[in-house]
Amino acid sequence: MIDFSQPTPVILSEVRQITPTRRELVLNMGPQHPSTHGVLRVRLTLEGETVIACDPVIGYLHRGVEKLGESHRYAQFVPWTDRTDYVAAPSNNLGYVLAVEKLCGIQAPERAQYWRMIMAELTRIASHLVWLGTHALDIGALSVSLYTFRDRELILDIFEKFCGARLTTNMMEIGGFSREIPPDLPEMVRDFCRYFPKAIRQYEDLLTENPIWLARTKGVGVIEPEVAINYGLTGACLRGSGVNYDVRKAMPYLLYDRVEFEVPLGTHGDVYDRYLVRIEEMRQSIRIIEQCLDQVPTDGPLMAHESRYVIPPHKNVMTTAEDMQRHFIWVIKGFSPPKGEVYHAVEHSKGELGYYIVSDGSPIPYRLRIRSPDFVNLQSLPYMAQGAMLADIVALIGTIDIVLGSVDR
Amino acid sequence: MSEPRSLPVAPETSPWDTTGYWGPTDPEQHPAVRLVRERFPDAFQEVVVFRDEVTLRVVRQALRDVVDFLRTHPELRYNHLTDITAVDMLYLRERPRFDVVVQLYSIPRRQRLRVKCGVDDGETVPSLVPIFAGANWLERECYDMFGIIFEGHPDLRRILLPEDWDEGHPLRKDYPLRGYRDYVQPGFESPAPRIRGTLRRPGP
Repeated sequence: MIDFSQPTPVILSEVRQITPTRRELVLNMGPQHPSTHGVLRVRLTLEGETVIACDPVIGYLHRGVEKLGESHRYAQFVPWTDRTDYVAAPSNNLGYVLAVEKLCGIQAPERAQYWRMIMAELTRIASHLVWLGTHALDIGALSVSLYTFRDRELILDIFEKFCGARLTTNMMEIGGFSREIPPDLPEMVRDFCRYFPKAIRQYEDLLTENPIWLARTKGVGVIEPEVAINYGLTGACLRGSGVNYDVRKAMPYLLYDRVEFEVPLGTHGDVYDRYLVRIEEMRQSIRIIEQCLDQVPTDGPLMAHESRYVIPPHKNVMTTAEDMQRHFIWVIKGFSPPKGEVYHAVEHSKGELGYYIVSDGSPIPYRLRIRSPDFVNLQSLPYMAQGAMLADIVALIGTIDIVLGSVDR
Repeated sequence: MSEPRSLPVAPETSPWDTTGYWGPTDPEQHPAVRLVRERFPDAFQEVVVFRDEVTLRVVRQALRDVVDFLRTHPELRYNHLTDITAVDMLYLRERPRFDVVVQLYSIPRRQRLRVKCGVDDGETVPSLVPIFAGANWLERECYDMFGIIFEGHPDLRRILLPEDWDEGHPLRKDYPLRGYRDYVQPGFESPAPRIRGTLRRPGP
């Protein structure tokens, strides 16, 4: 146990001094190991099957997305946010467009905000389904992954109906949505909400009381609450340890203060608690979506009425000369937000996703920083891996729920 | 085998009983500004408010002490380190060249605060790793991308780029978008064409 009350740096090699008399083995797990969820390389020092040191090596998927953001106009960067965390693209879009809207001082209309919430919560479910399937697959439960990917298809169908794309959706726009909602989309979402609780029960039947699952997850990778805060963890990794922090409740954005939902908290901070937290989060997401569908206005504007910053509605571009000119200027020259700096965070399926933008008044961000939840959460892997067995490492990597595109950016 | 556990649910109102955003428009009334100015009169430089976000600027030598004060003071309790990053101010001012930006959050008080300090090339910033374990990778990334040295960091080495990367620090403003070198693509004799130049931005 590391004592954080003392002002000493946390270095794993000092916590467990490795002496040459020990019989140690350095094992490189990844970057192409199937259980590393992408291109993560973990340098493990083993003594027998016990892990005595763990050093995650990242950067294999580094594409310089922040540098690209500083060389593109504000609206041109939205498709790049899809490619950071590619299993939860709409949530990334949302964090970025909200940060730009905050910088510009504009707000999307109420109807667009409700639809953004619906899409963000569907994304959370889709992302948790990918996590649940692959995490269970890592630990050895094959059939769960078949069921979760089957149900994720229904969400991707909704995305496809909404914006035409399934994975890298690029669906949010600065100011709202420029195209109309398809008329049969609310019924599709309602059908999914009716179906999905049964599917969650199915996953729970397979896993929650499964003795192998319990043996592999309970008491493994324990993070104490004070350690979780000290590492800056967010999302299910933090709430699994019992710390009550969810951006949707703590600093409500969109219209999250108008819907009722609960924040599940773990008690032991182990892999099993994080599993329970994410399962319950999916149920709460369904609850949020149903309330949004009840409250969302059936008609009204979807785009903010702020001609300086937003793209004109698509149907007006082809019919009115003024909007056509505005559209041309918006696409060719972009728009110039005021000088200043903002940080806006959203509750992504992995934790707090924040965008920090510094504007110098030009159409290009001067500095664009992505505070990725995966990058920060992955830091806790060496802490969790101390003294664990080699077989637990796959459970620990899975429980953080990393996507390497988001870690490396 | 042990029994499965049930999951407690956070109470509906506690501890989120304020709105989370700081209300008054006078930044001098902000508790963090008031207390830091009292405790560190020499280190405090300025406070900026933009879109309800409060930014404190302090001198770089006092950064760790100020952040530790903000973390431990019972009225403030900024106990969650959200982010550490830097901004290359090359086009915006003469000196110092970089701003180190620390985003803090108080879980009990539901407030954000941004602390900044200026640092020039070749100068060092006190590392926050002794206070927050989570500062480790964030400072390594800052070093990797900007070349800022964090004094007292236990393991300052490149993190996203390879350890033998010899072309400088990519997020500096004078680093070309496509790197310093032309890379010959396999199958093509000439280097990859520079199709995208740098977009012009207004001068300082």
